[in-house]
Amino acid sequence: MSNLLEIWGDTVDSRHTVGAIALGIGTATPLYLGADYFFSRIADPSLAGSYALLTGLAGCLIAGFIGARLFEPKRVVTEQDSGNEGRAAAMDAIEAEYGPLGDPAELPEPVREEIRALGLYDDLRAQHERHLKEATP
Amino acid sequence: MSPDLLTDASWALGMGLLGAVVFALIGLVSGTDETATVAPLTLLVVLLGVPAAGVFTFFMAGIVAKHITHAIPTALLGIPGDTMAVPMLRDAQMLRDLGVPHIALRKAISGGVIAAFISVPLAVLFAWLLSPFADQIGKAAPWIFVAAAVLIAYTSKGRLAAVLALVPFVLLIVGLQTFVSQTTGGSLSISFFLGIATGPLIADLFTALSPAGRTTLRRDSRRSFDLAPDTRTWTGRVPNPLKVLDRKQIAYTSAAAGVSSATFVFSPVAMTVLMGEVAGARIKNGYHRLTSVMSVRNGTTESTYIAETLIPLIALGLPLSPMAAGPAAPLFNAPPVYTVDAETGQTNNLHNLLSGGEFLVYGLLGVALAAIIAYPFAMTYAHRAASFVMRKVSHEAIIGAFAGLIMVICLYEGGLLAVGVALTVGLVGGLLNKVFNVHTGVQFMGFYVAVLTVPQVLALIG
Repeated sequence: MSNLLEIWGDTVDSRHTVGAIALGIGTATPLYLGADYFFSRIADPSLAGSYALLTGLAGCLIAGFIGARLFEPKRVVTEQDSGNEGRAAAMDAIEAEYGPLGDPAELPEPVREEIRALGLYDDLRAQHERHLKEATP
Repeated sequence: MSPDLLTDASWALGMGLLGAVVFALIGLVSGTDETATVAPLTLLVVLLGVPAAGVFTFFMAGIVAKHITHAIPTALLGIPGDTMAVPMLRDAQMLRDLGVPHIALRKAISGGVIAAFISVPLAVLFAWLLSPFADQIGKAAPWIFVAAAVLIAYTSKGRLAAVLALVPFVLLIVGLQTFVSQTTGGSLSISFFLGIATGPLIADLFTALSPAGRTTLRRDSRRSFDLAPDTRTWTGRVPNPLKVLDRKQIAYTSAAAGVSSATFVFSPVAMTVLMGEVAGARIKNGYHRLTSVMSVRNGTTESTYIAETLIPLIALGLPLSPMAAGPAAPLFNAPPVYTVDAETGQTNNLHNLLSGGEFLVYGLLGVALAAIIAYPFAMTYAHRAASFVMRKVSHEAIIGAFAGLIMVICLYEGGLLAVGVALTVGLVGGLLNKVFNVHTGVQFMGFYVAVLTVPQVLALIG
């Protein structure tokens, strides 16, 4: 059975989370307390606390770094290719929710240039013409 | 130049660079809430004794840089970089479906950079116009806080539940604060902030510990993310935001930034939605509307963000806005360095330490540093950076680092008792957030109601 849980907006493994928290608290707290003890003996008392705080924060970063090395992310990352396949279907879905995407030819030249560079011009144009045809059977 | 000015300026430059780099990286990690990250790190900088100019530039560079890079997960992965990015999600998703997510990203961050440069001087101007009334506003502050808390609560997703939940939440804080001052003679505030900011995490961890709650969090499979491919759309080495947007987009983004710079009490998310709708209604072509709204919306979050910090900071010194009560809270109140006196309303914070001119100069410096560092980075390396974070930085590691952070900062402020306070406030606040949608902004206002308004009410009753 999986140990996956959703905590703070992402999936984690429960045992790894316990490990990471123990690591975070276990690294940062002793570093802070040790630094507080050390600096309060050698530094200006008004600054000793700040130095200890900085040391503690470094401890958090170290714990985060070790945690990232020990526990791999529980995510599946896929990369889709933005091929033209399915773009017509995507356009239909968008238009159903958002309204017509419109005729790129009506836009000023700099915008048309941008759409051409993106490789969208012909698709948008085709989509628009399809609507025109549907409107006048 | 006097030596003092030179020192201040070099602090500002150094801290601004640090803020821009640190928060540009944090912004890549999706879901890092701006309050949970910006507030503790700004606090740390304040407590370490960095001069006011350095603190302010650090903050400004930080929020602008985080804003630029958090658009990367929003546009390329379809997950909000943080709560501010939520209104852009639908349009970003549509552009992603069209196979051009990089254009969504570039329109968004170019709009953001332009808006940031516009809103700093405008916010300083509006603050200057407002400052003659600062005394009256300061006297009325305890009552304004109640009104603001109720308004922010009512406009949140929790509606009436959020308004009514303020009562037990404020009482909890009053009770804890009284107990702490009786026990130790001092008072806490950072631990309360940290508890509120990390509340959702603490509540989730407690839920996971209880067998019944655990089943609600259980997932069968890893969360999957679809990372969109990336292509370059400009020529030359360094992209220019004014060329990425067309004329109409620049005009609408600038206008929205100008208008929203004047407002400082409204929810940034609400302003973002509103400005996007207003601009969108004026653009006929569907594709053009999608890309233009991306830049207007992101520009508006940037300008409300900046105005909501600068106007209360310059004109009042009291954290009277959702931003000022959240991410920017340490600029107002970070005892023992910056303080807001609960009884008299006297302030000793950036409001007193920097002049209007300094706010303008260092604010623009912060924006410029963020733009120089984060903008070309996000334009060029968005895809690689998002991929690296998703594949290499586990959520567990982030949670572990935060657990350490809570321990260190609380121990620093008030020993183990402070840890207990953060845990209590975090658990209660987190559950209020989870179950009733009482978001952290409402809770921050609740904290100020507890420390500023409640004593006044008690004095009135006698």
